Amino acid sequence: MIRSKKEQELLLGTLDMLILQTLVMGPAHGHTIAHVIEHTSEDVLQIEQGSLYPALHRLEDREWVSSYWGTSENNRKARFYKLTAAGRKQLRAETHRWQSMVEAIGRVLGNAGKVVE
Amino acid sequence: MSLRRYLRRREWDEERQRELDAHLEEETADNVARGMAPGEARRRAYMKLGNPTTIREEIWKMNSFVPVEDLGRDIRYALRQLWKSPGFAAIAMVTLALGIGVNTAIFSMVNGLMFSSLHIRQENRVLEIGSRQRGAQWQPQFSLAEYEVLHSQTSELFSGVVGDAYGLDGLSMEGNKPDRAFTDYVTGDYFEVLGVEPYLGRLFHAGEGMTPGADPVVVLSYPYWKQHFAADPNVVGKHVLLDGQPMTVVGVTAKDYHGVNTALTPQAYLPLAMIVPIENTPLSEYHKPTNRNLRLYARLKPGVTKVQANATLEVVSRRIAVEQPVADKDVELSSFGLWVGRNAGFDPDNAIGEVAWFILGLAGLVLLLACVNVANLLLVRATVREREMVIRSALGAARSRLIRQMLTESILLALCGGVAGIGLGLWGSHMLSSINLGTDLPLHFDFGFDWHVLAFSMVVAVVAGALVGIVPSLRLARANLNLVLREGGRGIAGSGHRFRDALVMVQVGSAMILLVIAGLFTRSLTQSEHAELGFNPANVITMMMDPGEIGYTDPRARDFYKELLQKVRALPGVKAATIAQIVPMGVVGNGGDTISVGGYQPPVGQSAPVVLYNLTATDYFATLGIPMKQGRDFGVGDDDGRPYVAIVSEAMVKEYWPHGDAIGQKFTMNSDPAHPLQVVGVARDARYQGFRQAMPPYFYLPFAQHYTGNSLETLEVRTEGDPGGMAPLLERAINDMAPNLPVFDVKTLHQALYSPNGLLLFQIIATLAGVMGTLGMVLAIVGVYGVLSYVVSQRTSEIGVRMALGAGRGDILKIVYKQGMWIVGIGLSVGLAASFGIAHLLHSLIVVSPGDPATYVGVSAMLAAIAMLACYIPARRAMYVEPMRALRD
Repeated sequence: MIRSKKEQELLLGTLDMLILQTLVMGPAHGHTIAHVIEHTSEDVLQIEQGSLYPALHRLEDREWVSSYWGTSENNRKARFYKLTAAGRKQLRAETHRWQSMVEAIGRVLGNAGKVVE
Repeated sequence: MSLRRYLRRREWDEERQRELDAHLEEETADNVARGMAPGEARRRAYMKLGNPTTIREEIWKMNSFVPVEDLGRDIRYALRQLWKSPGFAAIAMVTLALGIGVNTAIFSMVNGLMFSSLHIRQENRVLEIGSRQRGAQWQPQFSLAEYEVLHSQTSELFSGVVGDAYGLDGLSMEGNKPDRAFTDYVTGDYFEVLGVEPYLGRLFHAGEGMTPGADPVVVLSYPYWKQHFAADPNVVGKHVLLDGQPMTVVGVTAKDYHGVNTALTPQAYLPLAMIVPIENTPLSEYHKPTNRNLRLYARLKPGVTKVQANATLEVVSRRIAVEQPVADKDVELSSFGLWVGRNAGFDPDNAIGEVAWFILGLAGLVLLLACVNVANLLLVRATVREREMVIRSALGAARSRLIRQMLTESILLALCGGVAGIGLGLWGSHMLSSINLGTDLPLHFDFGFDWHVLAFSMVVAVVAGALVGIVPSLRLARANLNLVLREGGRGIAGSGHRFRDALVMVQVGSAMILLVIAGLFTRSLTQSEHAELGFNPANVITMMMDPGEIGYTDPRARDFYKELLQKVRALPGVKAATIAQIVPMGVVGNGGDTISVGGYQPPVGQSAPVVLYNLTATDYFATLGIPMKQGRDFGVGDDDGRPYVAIVSEAMVKEYWPHGDAIGQKFTMNSDPAHPLQVVGVARDARYQGFRQAMPPYFYLPFAQHYTGNSLETLEVRTEGDPGGMAPLLERAINDMAPNLPVFDVKTLHQALYSPNGLLLFQIIATLAGVMGTLGMVLAIVGVYGVLSYVVSQRTSEIGVRMALGAGRGDILKIVYKQGMWIVGIGLSVGLAASFGIAHLLHSLIVVSPGDPATYVGVSAMLAAIAMLACYIPARRAMYVEPMRALRD
C-alpha cells in the first residue's frame, strides 16, 4: 500500500518513465507494455495491480503519449500508445534525473559500505 | 484534465472497458499458451491486472472535478432534505428573509445618505472646508473674502478650491409663469475641479462668475431639464428669465450628478457673481466679510495628504485672521470628507448620519434574533437527524463531510432567504424613499439599489447562513457518535439543552433592547408633540413666496407685502395675518448674527455669541399666538425712516439683561453696526428648531426696516376655521396682485411641525424602531415557545413517571414554568442592563431621559407577560400528559 503522497509521487514517476522508455521502440498496447517492462527487468519489476492503465491515462492527459485503436499481433482489437515529441522530451529529462539520483544514492551507499567495513 | 474529456467521460469509460477486456483476453491467451487450464488462465489474468472496475473508477475520477461534484451532490441532497420538511424550510426562510430584508432596506438608506457615489471624479480626493470661531462649532459657510484668500494661498496643496451658494429663484421661459428653482451659484471652475461632465452643451469656464452681471448663462440639472424642458435636445442657446433677468442656457449637467449635497439637488447652476443681479444683492453685501454663504470644496493635488492639507489650512487661517481682523479674529480652518457635510452642515445637532447608523444597528439586532431562531430550529432538526448522521458516519462518511453537508444546507437556506430578503428590502427601501417629507424643495431621498447594497445583502446572507449552520455543525463535530448510537438517539440532545437555553436568553435580551429603544423614541415623540412650543400651531396656514423671482426690486417687494397683508386681513375668516422669514421647524434656515450688547462680555475664550432672529411684519405675535410679556408689538411706524427696533425673547432678556428692564436697552448686530437696535418688547420663548434643548435667546426685527435682500417671506394667517381650506383663497389674493408669482410650501403650521426639521425624524425613527421591536419580540416569543415545547416533548416520559408517582398537574405546570421563567428572567435582566447602556449612548437623540422608568417598566412587563403566555401552551401540554401513554412510549 502506498502510504505517503511523496512515496506515491516517486513510484508514479518511475512507472511513467518505464512506460515512456518502452514506447521508444515504437507504439504498443497496454499488455505489451506490461510484458516488456517485466521481461526486460527479468521479472524484478512487477507492475502493481491496477496501476498500469491509470498511468497510461495520466500520460495521455499530459500529452506525452497519444493513443489509437489498432490490431494486435494476435489479431485482436487493441488500444495502441505512441510516444509524442513532448513525451520524448519528458523521458530524456526523467532519465537524466533518475541517473543523477542513482549516482548520488550510489555515492552515499558506497560511503556507508566503507563505514560498515 | 480537460472539460472536453469531462463531458465525454462516459464514452471514455466504455473505451477503457474494451481496452481492459482486450488486455485480459491477451493475458488469458498467453496463460493458456503457457499450458494453464482456461479457467485458471483467466483467474490469473484478472489477478495480475487488478479489479477492472476499480481501475475504471480511478480513471473516471481522474476525468472529474471531485470537490465540485461533491458540492453538487451536497446541494442536491440539501434540497431534497428541505423539500422533505417544507414547514421547517418555509419558517426558516421567512425568518431569515425578514432579518436580511430589514438590513437591506436600512442599509440602502445609510448608503443613500452616506456612501452612494456623488458621480464626481475621484471623490475621495475632494474635501469640504469648514471653519469655526474659536470655541464655537464647525460650520461650512465662508465669505467671498475668505474664499479668495483660501483660493490664492493653497495652490501648492489643492489643484482647485471651488465654492457654491444656494438660492431659490424663479425660472421661466419668456412670458410664462416662473417655476421656483433651487439654484446653485458656483465658481467658474466648479465643475472642472469636481470633474463633472456636461450631458449637453458646456458647463462653466474658469473665468465665469468673477464679475457681477458679466455672465448671463445658466446650466440646467439633468432631472430639471427632463421635467421642465421636456428633455428638449435643442435647449442649448434658449433664453430664460431668472428672477426676471434674461439668461442663456448653455448646457445640462451629467445624468447622474445630483450635487455634492445628497439631500438637496440643485435644479439650475449659475456663475457665482450672477447672484448680484439675480437676487438683487447689493455689491456691498456681496463683498461683506460677514456675508458667509459659500460652501467650499477643494481637490487635493496628487500625493498631498489630508494631514498636510490641515496643517496648511492652519497657516492660512492665521493669514485670514490678519486680513479680516473684525470678522475672523479667532478663525480656525479644517478639512472634512465630503460625506461629513453631504446631508447638511457639520452641525452635531444634525443627527441624520448618527440616526442612520443607529438604525442599522437595530436592524443587525433583528438579524441576530432571526439567526438564533433558525439556529434553534436547525438544532432541533439535528437532534431528529442524529440517527441519520450516526449511520452515515458508521458507513464511513468523514465527520468533515457531514459538517460540510450541514453547512451546505444552512447556507442554502440563508441564500434562499437572502433572495427573498433582498426582494423584501427592495420594497422596504422603496417605502423609505417615498416617505412624504412635506416640502416642495427638491429633496433627493432616493435610496436606490446600487452594487454597495447588493454586495452588503449577499454578505449578510452568507454570514447569516454560516452563523446559523455553525451551531449545529459544531455540536455534531463534538458529539460522541458511538455514544449516541448506543443510547438510541438521545445523546446530543440530552447533554446540550443549556446551549439552547442560552440562545433563547440572547433572544429575549435582544428583543428587550429593541423594545426599550422603540419605547424611548415613541415616548420622545409623544413628549415632543405635547411639548410647550411657545406658540399655538392650531389654525395657522403658511405659504412662501419671493417677489424677487419675478423681478421685483426690494422696495417693490416691501410694498407688495404691505398691500397683500391689507387685502388678506380684510378676507372673511381671517383672524390675523403677518409675514415672517422663518417658520418654526421650517425649511428655510435660521438667520443669525453675532451681536454686541452694551455692558455684556462673552465668557473668556469665547467669541461674540451668535443669536438667531426672525424678520416679521406687524401682528406676528397675534398670528402665532406668542404672548407679549412686556412692551409693544411692531407698529406701522417702524419703517426704515425711523430708529431701528427689536423685540427680544425672555431667554434673551435672562442672558443679557438679567437685572434691569430690557425695554429701552440697545444692542447691535455685527453685520450692521450702523443701526443700533432698541428693544421695544419682550415676547415669550418659542421653539424654532429642535425639541431637545432649552430655548436659546431669540429676537425679532421688523421686515419694514430690513427688507433689503429679504424678499423671500412666508405669509402666515390665523384662521377662524379649517386653515387648509383658506389656502386657495389666499393664493388667489396673491395672484390677483402678481399673476406670475410662484407660491410654494403651502402648509399648516401643524404640518410644518412634522417637517424634516421638526418631528419627522422622530416619527420615522419611532416607526422603524417600533417595527423592528415588534419583529424582535415575535421572534423571541417564537424562540421561547419553541424551546419549551421541545423540552416538554423530550421530558414526556419523565413527566409520566412523576405523575405515576403522584405529582399533580399543578406540580407539572410549576416544573415547566420554572424552566421557562428561568430563561426569560435571565434574558430580561441581561437585556435590561444592555438597553440601559445603549440608551445612554443615545441620550442626544431622545427627549426623555435614557433611564425613563415608564419605558423600562412597561417593556419589561409586556415582555414578561407575553413570555408567560408563550410558556403556557407547552406547560399545558405537559399538564395533560397521559401517564400511561407516556410510560408506554
